Amino acid sequence: MQIVVNGVAQEIIPECTVFQLLEDEAVTLKAAVVELNGRILKQEQWQSTVIHPGDSLEILVFLGGG
Amino acid sequence: MNDIIQSVNKTDDSLMIGGVNLLSRLLVGTGKFSSHEIVPRVLEASGAQVVTMALRRVDWKNPQENILNYLPQNTILLPNTSGARTAEEAVRIARLAQAAGCGNWVKIEVVQDQRYLLPDNWETLRATEQLVKEGFVVLPYMSPDLGAARRLQDAGAAAIMPLGAPIGSNRGLQTKELIRILIEEISLPIIVDAGIGRPSEAAEAMEMGAAAVLVNTAIATAGDPVFMAQAFRLAVAAGRLGYLAGPGERRVTAEASSPLTGFLQEG
Repeated sequence: MQIVVNGVAQEIIPECTVFQLLEDEAVTLKAAVVELNGRILKQEQWQSTVIHPGDSLEILVFLGGG
Repeated sequence: MNDIIQSVNKTDDSLMIGGVNLLSRLLVGTGKFSSHEIVPRVLEASGAQVVTMALRRVDWKNPQENILNYLPQNTILLPNTSGARTAEEAVRIARLAQAAGCGNWVKIEVVQDQRYLLPDNWETLRATEQLVKEGFVVLPYMSPDLGAARRLQDAGAAAIMPLGAPIGSNRGLQTKELIRILIEEISLPIIVDAGIGRPSEAAEAMEMGAAAVLVNTAIATAGDPVFMAQAFRLAVAAGRLGYLAGPGERRVTAEASSPLTGFLQEG
């Protein structure tokens, strides 16, 4: 099924949770922050949140900045 | 040298921001370093307690390690809202940073102009008003304008951060006179942010009565960033001491430092 991650269309397996998506993409989970359809998704909700077709996710991390 | 720094720190001269007593008046940014690995050494050398960072989309093709993994445990995190072009975007970034466990401090940075990266004071004020209501400790990066600074103060900003020169330009205190007016007229701490390129310029800002300075590019792009961090630490401490000491009056003509009587050839 198709979703949008950080503005880019992406195919993922059905019934995928946010946690699985991040795990598959090997993101450093520590302090990553996720927005699902414009709403902040707390880390404790990642395991229980199933992604639906057409969902839009923003996945952000902290980088160096001034 | 460490004795000097300690003696400065021992004087009861902490800077209160957001309910925290800061002993260091040097805030450091983490952008532009050649590697994350150098950041902890830079921070140690700088003595900074408040450190800035940015929130960005994960780059799937080239995942970068989270900068937070390289910051000392007791660091006060000051995420910026860089990338925001409107107040709404800045508010969104601030909320995301807070959700990521960054605490409740935020540096508002709203920029539309990509050539000089000058902040939009109007959008900055709108973001400040909203985030103060939400309980954030708000430090707005702004163009040094007295009217805007007064409005930011009224909105509940914790400090005001005027630019000395465009971000990353290393051009020093180009806005010196306007910053001087803010220091004189605004009761909040004035933290000179952006443009400071040399330790002497940090010292100058502190001597003028700035409460603190925020330095990033000048340290990150130095030949030896760790040495430069230490140089800024000393310069900020020296400038602060100079301000506290109260510089003497400036004069157009000479006034002899040695007595003008009792010369050998007299009498």
